[in-house]
Amino acid sequence: MARSEPGPASTPWTHWRRFATPPIEIKGLHYRYAASETEALRGVDLRVDEGEFVAVVGANGSGKSTLARLLGGLDKPSAARRAAACGHDLLTERGRWAARRAVGVLFQNPENQIVGENVEEDLAFGLENLAWPSERIRARVDEMVAAFGLGELRRREPHLLSGGQKQRTALAGVLAIPRKVLVLDEPTAMLDPAGRDEVLEAVERERAAGLTIVFVTQEMDEVVRADRVVALERGRVAFEGSPRELFAAPALVRRLSLGLPAAGALALALADLGAPLQPLPLTLDELVAALVGTSSGSGS
Amino acid sequence: MKGASERAGAASGVAIACQGVSFAYLEGDRGVKALNEVTFSLSAGATVALLGPTGSGKSTLLQAMRGLLEPNEGEVRLDGLSRGEPGFAERQREVGIVFQTPEMQLFAMSAFEDVSFGPRQLGWPTDDVRAAAEEAMEQVGLPVAVFGARHPYSLSGGEQRRLALAGVLAMRPRVLLLDEPFVSLDPVARRELAAVLRALVAGGIGLIVATHDVDHAWALCEERLVLDGGRLVASGPWRFGDGGEADLVQHRLAVPFPVRLWERLGRPLTGAPRSAEQAAEALVAPAARKGSG
Repeated sequence: MARSEPGPASTPWTHWRRFATPPIEIKGLHYRYAASETEALRGVDLRVDEGEFVAVVGANGSGKSTLARLLGGLDKPSAARRAAACGHDLLTERGRWAARRAVGVLFQNPENQIVGENVEEDLAFGLENLAWPSERIRARVDEMVAAFGLGELRRREPHLLSGGQKQRTALAGVLAIPRKVLVLDEPTAMLDPAGRDEVLEAVERERAAGLTIVFVTQEMDEVVRADRVVALERGRVAFEGSPRELFAAPALVRRLSLGLPAAGALALALADLGAPLQPLPLTLDELVAALVGTSSGSGS
Repeated sequence: MKGASERAGAASGVAIACQGVSFAYLEGDRGVKALNEVTFSLSAGATVALLGPTGSGKSTLLQAMRGLLEPNEGEVRLDGLSRGEPGFAERQREVGIVFQTPEMQLFAMSAFEDVSFGPRQLGWPTDDVRAAAEEAMEQVGLPVAVFGARHPYSLSGGEQRRLALAGVLAMRPRVLLLDEPFVSLDPVARRELAAVLRALVAGGIGLIVATHDVDHAWALCEERLVLDGGRLVASGPWRFGDGGEADLVQHRLAVPFPVRLWERLGRPLTGAPRSAEQAAEALVAPAARKGSG
């Protein structure tokens, strides 16, 4: 499970493969910031198959955001044996431009991602840059407004939107340009709980529609929904597997500066008192089911 | 001016009261009301979660409590004193504020230098500056012997956040105002910061924490203030089981995880646990729990 040098041949995920060229294919990716002595990424391998939802986790400074930027073609890798997003070579300027079109990236801060004067102008912005004809832009904006529940907000100015509404607008703007891959870098970190739910619902809708999603997060309760988790440690992949496999390895979770989902943390506290729950519950529903099961004899 | 050593251990909170506080930002040519007749009073040493949707006025309220913003209407009283009264300015210095992502403001060449900056600016004698900085670094789990000479940027994200907190603690505040202290920290760094804050509270310091993280807020704080649209919509101790959940859910907030669990298990919410550890203890000893209800 935990391994410091993951080789592409040993990945257990080959059965996910549906197409010869996966949307994300990275081998031996390195990145060093201009002023830095150490590398932010030190040989990362990552393959994401079509329609997969992959969570990327790791301590502060482990390289998550750097990876997200590189996947979106927003920065030039220092070196890589292979670095491709939707078949576009991230090592070339031309490939990065093409990748920026195919891969949508949403960042953490809702304050600086909206460029339009109001919601519908923001949704149209990217399409105007691509010189779509205006009637096609109008149709696409209508589509996105409907899909993201922004009907009442379409003429609203950004500063009058809540954080969650801003993030939903930014996400709709990113996806107004038809994308194959969506990369999200802690998109809920600065939102209130209701805003977080709104954004997660929108992301789940895109997932159901078949979009390939790379989701960087510090929230272990968000990791639970992923098909697969990739954990970074000081710029390297230290774990790759299902959320359940990750959270079942408490020593590894600690080493990677991660935590458990709230339900798992409670189960672990119970285990410390000699009352373990098996298998480890990861959600409130699973925890309630496990507790009701164990205490069925005691009544209430 | 009192030296730091004379005031060691004096952390006992400052009573903060807001009376009809309103504040409007100027945006273009019109005022946007960020706080609207906010009134409450907190006793010295209170631990308070300041909750509310994004843009509800939490940061503005923290700045008004620290005197960084002058309310357009109303006033902030510290230990019953109004601005301008003897003793007010000194109380105000004892209200420490930690902004969002405070590590952005680290600037010195060493951790110790950074933490010493505040008390030195206050004109304390050199020995007192050193003592205050050493104690503050100890309090946040970055002992001077190990971390003092480190460059702030060589520290991890969580360590940088705690170092920035030490820079405020070195000025020996009696109340700490924290703006989203857990945001963008990894889970381990959050747990470490929460442990530091719990220890500070145990030492008598007052704590006012603006956060979206209701689970941490519930674990740390005895009371909560809920702001929405610049208005105060709830204050006082947390209330669950008597409709108090609405104070959170109706204002885009969440009910803490242990409380939701207790609700699902049909247990009385008045005694809902504050943490996973407390919940586990209550769950393995159901009989003892029933007796205390």
